[in-house]
Order: sequence, then structure tokens, then C-alpha cells
Amino acid sequence: MQREYRFIGRETARKDGLGIVRGREKFIDDLKLPGMLQAKILRSPHPHALIKYIDTSRAAKLDGVKAVLTYKDTPPWKGGLPPHLGVLSNVLRYTGDAVALVAAETEEAAEMALDYIDVEYVPLEAVYDAEEAIKPGAPQLYPQFPGNSFPLACPWMGENSLQEVAMGDVERGFAEADIVVEGSCRYDNIPNPLPLEPPGVIAAWEGPRDLTVWSSTQTPYFLKMMLHYTMGRINVRSIAAHCGGSFGTKAVPWQLVFYAAALARVSKRPVKLFYSKAEHFAAYTLRLGSAFSGKIGIKKDGRVMAVAGEWLINSGYCSDAAQGMVAVGCGEVQLLIRCPNWAVKPKLVCTNRNASKMVRGYGGQELEAAFLPVLNLALAKAGVDPFVFFKQNYVKPGDDYFWRDGNRWVCRGIDYSAAMEKGAEVFGWKEKWKGWLKPSSVDGPHRTGVGVGVHGNADVGEDVSEAYVRLDPDATCVIYSCVSEHGTGQRSSLCKMVAEVLNIPLEAVSLAPPDSLVNPYEFGPVGSRGTYAIGSAVIRAAEDAKRKLLSRGAALFQCPAEELETKDGFIFRKDDPENKLPWKATGFDQTYMGYGRFEPDFSVPNFVMIFVEVEVDMETGKIAVKRVVGATDVGQIIDPQSLLHQMHGCLGSAGLDSAIFEESVLDKKLGRILNPNMVDYKWRTFLELPVFEAVILETPINTHLFNSVGFGEIVTSPAPSAVLMAVSNAVGRFFDTYPITPEMILQTPGKGRLKA
Amino acid sequence: MKPFRHINVPGVAEAVDYLNKFPGSSRLIAGGTDLLGVLKDDILPAYPELLINIKAIPGLDYLREDENGLSIGALVKLAFLARSPLVREKYKVLADAARSVGTPQLRNMATVGGNLGQETRCWYYRYPHGIGGRIQCQRKGSGPCLAVGGDNRYHVIMGGKGCFAACPSDLATALAALEGSIKTEGAGGGRIISIGEFFHPLGNALKAGEMIVELQVPPLPAGSRQHWLKYTLREPVDFAVVSVAVLTVLEAGICREARIALGAVAPGPLRALQAEQFLKGKEPIPEVLQEAAVLAVQGAKPLSKNGYKVEIARVLVLRALEASFAGHK
Repeated sequence: MQREYRFIGRETARKDGLGIVRGREKFIDDLKLPGMLQAKILRSPHPHALIKYIDTSRAAKLDGVKAVLTYKDTPPWKGGLPPHLGVLSNVLRYTGDAVALVAAETEEAAEMALDYIDVEYVPLEAVYDAEEAIKPGAPQLYPQFPGNSFPLACPWMGENSLQEVAMGDVERGFAEADIVVEGSCRYDNIPNPLPLEPPGVIAAWEGPRDLTVWSSTQTPYFLKMMLHYTMGRINVRSIAAHCGGSFGTKAVPWQLVFYAAALARVSKRPVKLFYSKAEHFAAYTLRLGSAFSGKIGIKKDGRVMAVAGEWLINSGYCSDAAQGMVAVGCGEVQLLIRCPNWAVKPKLVCTNRNASKMVRGYGGQELEAAFLPVLNLALAKAGVDPFVFFKQNYVKPGDDYFWRDGNRWVCRGIDYSAAMEKGAEVFGWKEKWKGWLKPSSVDGPHRTGVGVGVHGNADVGEDVSEAYVRLDPDATCVIYSCVSEHGTGQRSSLCKMVAEVLNIPLEAVSLAPPDSLVNPYEFGPVGSRGTYAIGSAVIRAAEDAKRKLLSRGAALFQCPAEELETKDGFIFRKDDPENKLPWKATGFDQTYMGYGRFEPDFSVPNFVMIFVEVEVDMETGKIAVKRVVGATDVGQIIDPQSLLHQMHGCLGSAGLDSAIFEESVLDKKLGRILNPNMVDYKWRTFLELPVFEAVILETPINTHLFNSVGFGEIVTSPAPSAVLMAVSNAVGRFFDTYPITPEMILQTPGKGRLKA
Repeated sequence: MKPFRHINVPGVAEAVDYLNKFPGSSRLIAGGTDLLGVLKDDILPAYPELLINIKAIPGLDYLREDENGLSIGALVKLAFLARSPLVREKYKVLADAARSVGTPQLRNMATVGGNLGQETRCWYYRYPHGIGGRIQCQRKGSGPCLAVGGDNRYHVIMGGKGCFAACPSDLATALAALEGSIKTEGAGGGRIISIGEFFHPLGNALKAGEMIVELQVPPLPAGSRQHWLKYTLREPVDFAVVSVAVLTVLEAGICREARIALGAVAPGPLRALQAEQFLKGKEPIPEVLQEAAVLAVQGAKPLSKNGYKVEIARVLVLRALEASFAGHK
């Protein structure tokens, strides 16, 4: 049992709760600046084409139109990794690629103007599958990336960023194995994480090299720095609006900023660009396409001896984060499997479809969803229970792994076996697991099956966070941490941490607006790093401020500062709490500014295990997810409701349901996404939620004052492969692609009463 | 959305009048649940100048039953139909079909007339103009059907010609089992179109300037039972992959009448006449029902990716028949 806290681990109201319920929080589309114009984008009808001729003069003359831009007159900013995308280009690489930009007094005028831009295209041959894109003779997207292959280096993760999983001697490993399987699996249905709110930005130039950007980002400071580097080292002030969900996708919407800033520069007016839902679906961010094919050797008892294979990754028409996702994916798979011999080679490929960019799961989900079904073939041959396997294999204190920076890290976290055991008990794994490809129960055409998946991430301690905490003489305090509220309650949780350190009411703690002008460096709440990384900076800043306060108090009490304590805005001697003085007694005109910094630490992976029970109707192919149990150990709960909701998050946002119906349907003749709306893109609604049970343990983890790790990002990742396993067991055959459709179930021999 | 003019009309005559004054450039709007999506995505080559708001026309939201059967005003909301005790009791498939549409919010806005008149859900037809331009096709006047060589997982398995989009209306399927019809008003007066004649591969039977004013259901055969089934990928807010409405009459253990209507498999609701004929005079034992289910989709010509719909249709027919006959007690 951990110690009792005043706020930590207790139910407290979200700081922004009333504001959201009353509609008072400002989201990006609520913001209006004086003189602000609205932007719209003319998008390519072709998946791959050259602009032969473009004339914007008719559009420019229309009422209300203030700027029309083409590749001929946009600034030389360049984004992507490595930099390969300008603001606009005369080469169009996916259906929906930006052809021209319009800014007008109203959205309607801007939209109307798009129809008055005259363009002639030279269509080029397009390629959609990664396998096809790397073949000789395939259409080439960029001259600098022959074979449509991106270099794998990710400089911002370090000079030696992880570009493969390579260790030991796989040939020896296979020789020592009792069972060797070969197989492949594709997880390339490119689901859309689909936060409720489409992305949006407002750009306004304050001077020739001073740009202010409002956006729906979850990481405003990181966006500032990315724009600084991609837009010619300009000075960017980045302000986050309330974020209507992100799931990683809105961290760095640099392309939207490019478009809006280019228009703002020409029109000399602030410009807003807010995507339509169709654009959100078909011209923003998809999950990476992923395919694993290779060989796995195991001992009869389930010990993995060797893994070798190719991980083929489809990033769509560009890459801005995929190399980082490859690095993290290569790290995360090592957390799952203890194996001395690895040779997994990633290959990152561009194709003529909408881009895959930063999405929760961040490489790990994509690799594991494709890799684990191949591993399952081996486990099935050996007759090894996957739960037992995961429990034995998941990283434990003292185990080591190569992380994204290319360095070997030794786990100094906790053994998560207890959480796994508890999860299995609540789920009833022992009773329901009947062996590989065996249903748990059969009732007429209805068969149930169970599956399990595990995932964890050592990125909970990634990157740098800085924070200030200012104590005010009126016994309140302000946190300066550049974190936007993207739905996880992180801003409120940071307030709880500081209130706990300073022992003051939660109402006395506020957080400065997420604005890079007022806050210090902050990478942002991504990769589940909010609790450990951001939390550490904020806690240290609060402790630092408290130290400064008490050292001033030492003069008043004429004792060493160490003998003093503070509570509810008063200072007192620990041995004489009745004799107290308010903070302002140290000076009515005195504030105290504390500073805290967190340095990256990849030694504490977090953890989630997902158990799934599905029911398959063998006559209609219908798959229903009946029950989900999520198990974790977070060291110490910061906010119970937020954590529970984060656990529920495994269902949506390109997670669990990407195994059964979430997919972007790409027509590979046209290069168009056919389901860019909320009806045709199947998305589970609240009416169809399965029974969900959460198992949350609190074993202290050596992180910071509260011995806690973050959880939010990881929960989608183990779910798709767990569902695939569950359906396989229900139906009695393995699947090697996502999503499993009714059609695939109906292809199972002997499934029903009717013969054609 | 692009700008348009919006006018309220006091009656059917005025609505028809405006439709005829602005041929091809006006649209009726009632609940707007389908039309607004069509306009937002700008899927049609001609954007309407004028929206004629008929939802305030008084007296067009009635539900009446007399010796001629049931009459439903075109402005009756789906939510009202789904909740009506009369409809739930006697015209069960109609209530269940209405209940299966969209969400509570949509059903509170959407009208029965709109449900029958809605645009197809074919995703090529519906492709948004904003992402590289709308897709032309025969249904829009000219162009090939891209679904045939493309992703046709939700398209028709029979009856397509020029266009292979499936009928999206759940009410149509239920009405077909009830042998209902549609009453219209137009410039040249009104007419009655049987539900089986209303849909055709490229659209529906409404002429320019004509509007739906009423749905009609004739008196039901005595002692009949009904059952509705709709297969969707997710339960709420989804269009049918296949739907089935059946009506059965059982006397002394023998099937005297069976009506089987299939939805989302053809351009309109499809009566499985061969299967219906087969069932008549037979005892509905499992082998007979299974045979009828197979007959129901005999002759289906699935496209490249929708063969699975044939199998689902068979199973739904079987299950609906089982449930309907089980109701005769």
C-alpha cells in the first residue's frame, strides 16, 4: 500500500470540466481574430500527377478572395523526414494532395474560388502497395528516394537512432530451436485515429520573421521548434487551443501551418484553416501500413530462440515521423519477447496514398499487430498458452533492450506479473482458454473465442520537460508547463501533483495557458510521458519553489528551513504547526519561482495487457466483441477517472476495432479513400460498447515523488492482435490480415446450415 | 456548404409549384438528414439554387387506419412511426425498420418520405467534391460505374444495370413485405406507385416536379405474422448490408402465405417470389425453410467483392422465416 495523499489517487473534478460542459472552453474553431480570413485547399484529383498548367486569375478576381497561391509562389519552407515536402509542389503524390491555396473573407467564398482555378494535369502511374512500390520499375515518388525507400535515420532521436532489431546469431538460434515457423501478416488497413475535432490552425505574422500560431495541437512547444526548423529559423509563438482529441495526430500539424502562414504572409491578414471531416478522413493522418514476414524459432517450452524477417512499412506519400515510429516499434517488440537472437529489418516505403503520420501506438502497435500472428503459429505448434508466454516474456527488472536512441537500456521498473495474473483471474482466462484454434464455447452458429495481447513503452520517460511553478503571496500558485488539454485530463493532473507537493487546495493551483511565449521547453503529452516526464518537471519546480519559500521563512522563524513545512498557504515549524504565518508574511510583494527539468530516461517501461472475448456468428460472419479486460500497474494512480477512461480508449482511435471494422477503404485503381465519413468509416458508438473491466494495480515504481508511470498512449496497441487471436480461436483457423471481415469468416468450411 | 435560397411553403400545391418553377435546380427539404450531407459533400454536378422547405406543411404527418389499410403522411417522423403502438402492434416490420435507421437524433428529424427518397449510399456516388473532385457516373448522368471494377462490397447482388448501388431505404423493404405503395403529387396531379415499381437502377420513379405525399399499406391478411432483420457491420448508425422483412400466414400448420422482401441486395426492395411460391401449402419444417432461403437469392449475380452478401441474405431469410412462423401460436 502506498501512502495516503490529499489529491493524488483521489477523485477530483477536472479543472476544465465545467467549462467543457457549459461550452465555454475555446477550441480552435471558436477562435476569431480581427480581420481573419478563411482558407480552403484545392486538392488533386489524381493519385500521382504533374501540374502542367495552372491559372488562378479567375479565382483571384472573385468577391472576397484575398489570396490564391500555387507552387509557383509559396515560400521555400520544407518539412518531412528527411526534409522533402515544400508548401506546395508541381508534383502531386496522392488524391487530395494540395494543388492551390485560397484565403477569402468567408469559408463559402474560399470554397467557391476553388472551382475557378484552372489546372491541367499530366497523370502519372501510381503505386499503393509497399510490396509493389519497392519493385524495380515501380513508379517513383521522389528522385531522392530511389526504390521509394526512405532512409531510416531519425536524427532528433539521436545519432544512432534504432533502425533494426539486430543481436546475437539468428542462424544459431534457429539451429537450437525445436520449432521453426515461417509466415507473414499484414496490418495495412490504415485506420484513421479520428479524434472528434478535425485539425485546425490560425496563423498571423507579427513581423517578417515572427509568426504566431494558434492550433489544436497537443504539443505546442514541440510544434514551435518544428516550425522554427522547417520555416527558415523564424521565431514562432505557438499557442494551443483546447484540443478536441488528438491521439497523436495533432501533435505537429506543420503542413496546415505552412498553408495558413503562406496565405497570411501574402494577404497580410490572420488566416484560419480548419479541415472538413472529409479532409480529416482523406487528407490528414492515417496509421502506418505494416507487414511482417519472417521466421521464428522457439523451444518446445515456448522460449524464443530466434526472430528474423522483414518489416515492411507503408508511410503513404510522405514521412514526417515514420522513422521515429520504426525506432520505437523496434524497441517495443523487444519488451514483449525475450529472445537472444534477432534480425528484423525494417523497410520504410512511400506510396501514392494519404500520409501515415504520428499516431498512438507509434510503431509498436503496427509491428506487433503484424508480428504476433506469425509468432502465434509457433506457439500453437508448441501448444503454449499465450498468456503464460507473455507473462514469462514481458520485460522484467534487470532485462535489457535497445531503445529508440540505439542505446542498450536495463529495465529498472517493476515486474508486471501480478497485474497479468490478476487480469487473467478477472477475465477467467484459465477457464476460457481451450487451446489454440479452439472455441471457448459453441451455441448453435455462435462461437466464442478468447485472445490476449500485451504492450508496453519505455517512452514514458522520453525527451525533455521543463516547468516553472510560481508561488504568489495570496497563497495561490501558477504552473508554467506547455501542455495543452487533449482530453486525457493531463492539465488537471499536473495541478494535483503541485497541490500535493505544496499542500494547498486544488483550487489554489492554476496552469498558465499553453503558450510557448510564457512557458519553458516542453516536448508535450505524448507517448504516455505526461505522468513521469512532465510530472517530474512540474514536481521538481514545485519543490524548488517551496524550498525558496521556506528558506525565506527560515528568517522569520529563526530556524533552519528544513525544520519548516507549509500547508494551505501557511508556514510553520514541523514541531509547532499551530504557530503559523501566511506566505505573504515573507513579503506581500514577493513571489517565488521554482524551476524543474526532466531528462530522458528509457529504463521504466509501462505495461498493459488486454484480454478479449469475441462471439462469431458462423452463418453471417458477424463478429461481436463481448468482453474486454484491461490490466495494468501504474505505480500510483494520479486521477482514477482519467485512468479508467484512458483504459476504455483501447476500443476507439484505430485500436481494437481495427481488427474487425475500422479501416480506410482505398480504391487501388483510383487512389481514393472511399469511406471519408462517419457512416461508411465504421466506428464503434457508445451503444455498442462491450463489457469492460479494468484491473489496476499500484506497485510503487521508481520514477518520481509519486512512484507513478503514465498509461494513456499504450492501451490501443495490444488489442488488434488479441482480437485476431480470439477470432482465430472461435473460428478454428488463423488469419493473417486485418480487418477480419464477414466475408473472411464465411469462407470457413463447414460453417453453417445452408449449402448453396 | 455553398449558398442556396431556402423558402417555406404552406402546402403541397405550393411545393409542387416551386419544384416545377425551378426544374433541376430545386430540392425539397424536410428532415434534411440526407440532403444536408449531399450538399456538404457537394456530390452532385448541379448544386440546387433553392431548397423548398416542406416540413412545416400542416397535416402531412398523419397516421390513419381504416378499412383500406394504413395511410402514413410523408412528413411522419421515423421516431413517431417506430413508437406508434398501432404500427408496432399490427405493422411490426414497419416499426422495426424505422427503429433500425440511424440514431435517435436522426429519427427525430428524418421523415418517411425522405427515407424513401434519399440518395444512394454508393461510396463512389457519394465521394466528396472537396477531395479531388466528385465522381461522375451514370446515375449522375454520364460515366461508367466504378463500383463494378472497384470496391463493391456493399453493392447489389442482383438487378443492377448501369448503376449497381443498393437501395438504402429500410422502410422500402418493410413496405415491400406489406405490399405497400407510394402516393405522389405532381404538376399533372397525383398517382399511386407500388413500392416494387418505385425504385429503378438509376434512381426512382418520381418525375421532375413530383413529390411523395403518403405511404399506403393495404389491409393485412388475417392472422399474419411479421419479422424484420437487418444485418449491419455495427449495430447503430449503419445502413443495411442485407435486410429482410417477412410476412407469413399459417393455418393448421400449413403455410398459406409467405412474403419475403430483401433489402440492400438490389436497386429496390426485392420480393423473393420463387421462395414465397415454394413455401405456400407446405409445412414450415426446417428443410422447407432452408430450401426457401436458398431459393430466395437464386439467380443472384454478385459482383467481385460482394458474394458474401448472398450468404448473409440466405441466412437472414431463414432466420426471419423461423422467427415469423414461430410467432404463429
